[in-house]
Amino acid sequence: MSARAATAPADGPAFPLPVVARFENFGEKDGLPSHKVHSVLKTSDGRVWLGTNNGLCVRETDGRFHTYGTKEGISHPTVLGMAEDPRAGDLWLATMQGLSRFSGGKFTVFTQTNSGLPNNVVYAVAVIDDTVWAATAAGTGAYNLKTKGWKLYNESNTVMNEPWCYSVAAGEGVIYLGVWAGGIVEHDPRTGSFKAYRDPDGEFHIHLLRDSGPIVDVTSGVAFDDGVLWQATYFGLSRYDTRQATWRTWVQDKTPLVSSFINTVFAHGRVAWLSTDRGASVTDGDNWVNYTVDEAGRGLVRIHRTGQEPETHTLTTALSDSFVTAIWADDHEAWFATSNGVSHGIFAGPAAAATVTANP
Amino acid sequence: MKLKSLIVVATVVALAGAAGSVGGYYGLRAHQRRQSGKPNLGFISCNHCHQSSLAALPWAQPRPHHDAPGGIVISPDGKRVFIALDDRDEIAEADATSLTVTRRVKVPGGPFGLALDATGQRLFVACPRQDRVAVLDTRDLKEQASVEVGVRPTAVAYCQTSSGERLIVPNSGSDDISVLSVSPLSELVRPAAGREPYAVALSGDGRRACVANRMAVRGDLMSPPASEVTVLDPASGRVLDREPQHSAHLAEGITPVSVRGWMLNPLVRVRNLVPITQVKDGWVMSAGLAISQENGEVTQVPLDEANAYFSDPSGVVASSDGKRAYVASGGADVVTVVDLDWLGAWLTRVDAATRNEAIFDLAMSYHYVIARIPTGCNPRHLALSPDGRRLFVAERLDDAVLVVDTASLGPVGRIVLGDGGRDDPIRQGERVFTRSKYTFQSQFSCRSCHPDGHVDGLAYDFDGSGVGDNLLDNRSLCGVAGTAPFKWNGKNPTLQFQDGPRFARVLMRTDPIPTPQLDELATFLEHQPPTRTIPWSRVGKPLSPAAERGRKLFYATRQTNGTPIPRALQCQTCHRPPLFTDRLLRSVGTQEARDPNGMFDTPHLIGVGASAPYLHDGRAKTLEEIWTTYQKDDQHGVSSYWSKEQLNDLVEYLKTL
Repeated sequence: MSARAATAPADGPAFPLPVVARFENFGEKDGLPSHKVHSVLKTSDGRVWLGTNNGLCVRETDGRFHTYGTKEGISHPTVLGMAEDPRAGDLWLATMQGLSRFSGGKFTVFTQTNSGLPNNVVYAVAVIDDTVWAATAAGTGAYNLKTKGWKLYNESNTVMNEPWCYSVAAGEGVIYLGVWAGGIVEHDPRTGSFKAYRDPDGEFHIHLLRDSGPIVDVTSGVAFDDGVLWQATYFGLSRYDTRQATWRTWVQDKTPLVSSFINTVFAHGRVAWLSTDRGASVTDGDNWVNYTVDEAGRGLVRIHRTGQEPETHTLTTALSDSFVTAIWADDHEAWFATSNGVSHGIFAGPAAAATVTANP
Repeated sequence: MKLKSLIVVATVVALAGAAGSVGGYYGLRAHQRRQSGKPNLGFISCNHCHQSSLAALPWAQPRPHHDAPGGIVISPDGKRVFIALDDRDEIAEADATSLTVTRRVKVPGGPFGLALDATGQRLFVACPRQDRVAVLDTRDLKEQASVEVGVRPTAVAYCQTSSGERLIVPNSGSDDISVLSVSPLSELVRPAAGREPYAVALSGDGRRACVANRMAVRGDLMSPPASEVTVLDPASGRVLDREPQHSAHLAEGITPVSVRGWMLNPLVRVRNLVPITQVKDGWVMSAGLAISQENGEVTQVPLDEANAYFSDPSGVVASSDGKRAYVASGGADVVTVVDLDWLGAWLTRVDAATRNEAIFDLAMSYHYVIARIPTGCNPRHLALSPDGRRLFVAERLDDAVLVVDTASLGPVGRIVLGDGGRDDPIRQGERVFTRSKYTFQSQFSCRSCHPDGHVDGLAYDFDGSGVGDNLLDNRSLCGVAGTAPFKWNGKNPTLQFQDGPRFARVLMRTDPIPTPQLDELATFLEHQPPTRTIPWSRVGKPLSPAAERGRKLFYATRQTNGTPIPRALQCQTCHRPPLFTDRLLRSVGTQEARDPNGMFDTPHLIGVGASAPYLHDGRAKTLEEIWTTYQKDDQHGVSSYWSKEQLNDLVEYLKTL
C-alpha cells in the first residue's frame, strides 16, 4: 500500500467534481432523535436541518443539535423532505401527516382536512417564487403564498397517468414533477401546459433504448440546475439537457453508477449527487466519484475520470451508512442523510489532502 | 229569478274562491316545503327565500362621511402634523403650533396608516380600501408613486437598512406583511404574519421590524388563544421570530422603547373559555401592556385597576428618553400614562414567576400608572412631537386631534377636523358601539369582541348556568342587516332585542343600553358593510376558474354522477342568495352534549372567508374542516361525492362572497 496525497482537486487539474476527503458522522449519540434520516438541507443561515423519522433536527452553527417533534407543533415526526423559502426564510417540511411551515420558531400545519393540500402523505416540497409545491400521494398541490389558494395537479387535469408524486423541482420557467410510475411531468405555469417525459421502451426491468428518454417511469426523484434535469429511479439514472434536448441514461452494470437503486438526486450546478442503497455517486455525466463502505467499514472513494482507468482510495473515515437517502451539497461541503445517521462530507483541498490515503 | 241567479253566481264565486284559496294555500305550502326542504314549515314566510336585493340594504345606501382621524405623524422639525382621514379619502396637514388645518388632499383608498422618511420629505400612506401604499411629496402633498400590497394594509413603517430604504406594511386582510423597497417602490417579499397584522414598529437599532397581530390564532377548541408579534429583518424581510402573546389579542399598536431595548404593545387579555357570567368577577377581558425585551422575554402587565377597566387599548407611544409610555384606551376615552422607570426597576428585581403572574394583579397598575388623561370619543392613534413635549391623540369619533402637554399632562388644544357628525345616527351608534361604559365596570365594549364590526376569531363560553364548556362562535356584524333573526339559537328577532335587556343581564352585567342609544347602535350595525375578502384588484372581475367551478358546486342540484341532491341538502337552499341565509334554524349534525338542541340559526356567508372559525361553537378552524372533519352523514349538505378538487373549488368560491 502506498500513500500519496490524493485526488482532485488537489492532484487533478480541472477535475470537475468535488471530492470528499473525510466524513464527520453524527448519530443518536450526538443528539439526533433517530438513526434514520430521510432528508437534509443546509439553509442560508448556515444551519443544517435533518428530517428524521422521529422529528426535525437542526444542527446549529455552533454544532449543537436540537430536535423539534410533534409536541413543538410539527405535523408528524417523519420528515421526508424540506425546502427553504429563500425570501421569507421559512422552512417547509414534507411529512407523513401533512405539510408544515416552520417560521420564526413556530410551526403551522397544513393537512388534507384543514386546507387544500391534496393528501397528507407529502414526499417532497419546493418553494418557487410565491408558490409552495407539495408532492403528495394524491397529486401535487401548489399553495400560493399571496392568495392563500391551492391548485391541485393530478391525473384528472394533467398528463400524469397516476397521482403518486414523489418529487418536485424548479426548472427554467417550468416545474418538474417526479411521478411514481409516471415518469416526469413538465408544467409551465405561465401557459398552464403539461408535457410528460416517459420511458420510451415502457419497460422497467429492461433498458432497451439508451439515451432516448427517462430510463424508466418509476421516478423516485427529480432535480434541476443549470439547464440539466436529473431523474433518479430505482432502476437507474437519467439526465436531460434541456438546452440541447438530449437524454443520457445510466445503469449500474454498464456504467460507473454505484447502484441503480437511487433514492433521491440533488443537483448543484451541472453536477448531480445521487443517494443510493450502496453509497453515494457524484457525476456530471462524464466523470464520477463514488463513495461506498467496505465490509470492514472503511470508506472507499472510486474516481472515474473520462478516458482513464478508475482509481480507488481508502478514506480514514466513511459514510455513516451505505444506504443514503438524501444529499445536500454546495461548492464547499456535502451532507449525506443515511439510514444510520448523517455524514458531513468535507471536500478535498490543499489543506485536507493529507487525510486521504490511496489504495493500491 | 234574478235573486236566485245572483245567489247561484255568488255561491259559485264563493266556492271557487274558497277552493282557490284552499288550493292556493296548499299549493303555497307545497311550494314552501319544496323550496325550503323542510317538512315542518312552522313560521316560514315568503321573505325567507324571496329576500330583498343587497342594493336595498342599509349598508348599500349612501351614508354621511366623517373626518375621523386615523394615523398621525409629526414632521421631524415638529412644525407639521399629518393626519389620515380614511373615511374622507384625504390626508390633512395641520400646523403644530396654531393647531389649524393648513391643507387637505385627496388620497383614494381610505388612507389610514402613515409614516415619514427621516427627512420628512416623503409621506408613506397605507390605504386599506384599495390595498396599496402611496408615496406623497410633503412639499405639495402630491402623490408620487403607489404600489399594490396585500389586503387591507393598516399601517406602514419606514426604515433605512444596509440594503436600502424599506417600508414594512402589515396587511390585516390577507394575514401577511409586505416588505417594500422604496427606490424603486416595489414589493420584495410578503411573509406570512399571524392573524390580522395591524401595527408595526422598528426597534431602536433598526434591525427588527415588529408587527402586532390583532387577532389570536387558536389551537384546539378548548385551548387558550394566543396572538403573536411577528418579527422581521427589515432589510431582507425574513421572519426572525414569532413572539407569542398568551391569552391575548386585539393588539392595535406597538412602539419601541429604544433606550431600554423594549417593544411595547397594548393588548386585551381575554378569557373566552370561562363562562361569560364571570364578567361580574372581572374575569373575561382586561387591558394590558406587553413588554418584549431584547432577550425575547415577554411580560404582560395590567393597565386596568381592581374595579375600573380601561378597555380597548389601541395606540401606544413612548417618550424618547424611555421614561413614559402613553396608551390610548379606545373604549374608556382616556390616555393612560405609564411610568416605565418603575416597570424597568420592577422587571429587574422580580423573578420569572412574578412576571408571569403580573397580568392578573390589577392592583399593580397603581404603581406605574401616573395619570389617566380624559379624551374625546374613541382615542386610537397617538404621536409624540420630536421634542416629546406634546402628545397628539386621534379622537376618532369626535373628528379631532387632542394635543396634550406632556409636562402638565393637560390639554393645550385640539386640531378640529370636522363637526363630529352629531346629527348622524350611524355615527352616534358607533359611539355606543365603542364605549365600554355600558358594561360592568367598563370592562369591554361591543368593539372589544367585534373589532371594526367584524369578529375577534374566538368562541365564548355563553353558558348561562355558569357551568361552562358551552362555547359559541363569535359572529361578524359586518353585513348583518337583513339577516335576522340573531343569535345562534335564532331567538332574537331584531338587533335591538339582541342587544337589549337580556343581553345586558347575561353579558354586560349592568343596566341595559337606553332605548335611544340602542336604536342608534342598531342603526350603526345595519350600516356595517360586509368585509371585503378578496384583493381590491379582483373586485368586479370575473371569478377565477376554480371559484367559478365552486360556484357551480354551490348551486348544484345533482351530484357529479347525476344523482339528484335533495333540496334540503343543497347549499343554496339554506344559504340562499343574496344574503346566503334563509334565516331559519337548521340542524347540520353538530349538536354536542351541552347544546340544548341541534338546531342553529343559518349564518349568512357574506365575508365568510374572513370570519374563521366556523360552526356554532367554532370547532372548525377552516372552511375545509366543515366538510372534512365535522361533516356527519351529509347532514351539512351532500358533500360525500366531492373530490378534493371540488372541495377546494367550493372554498375558493366561498372566499369570494
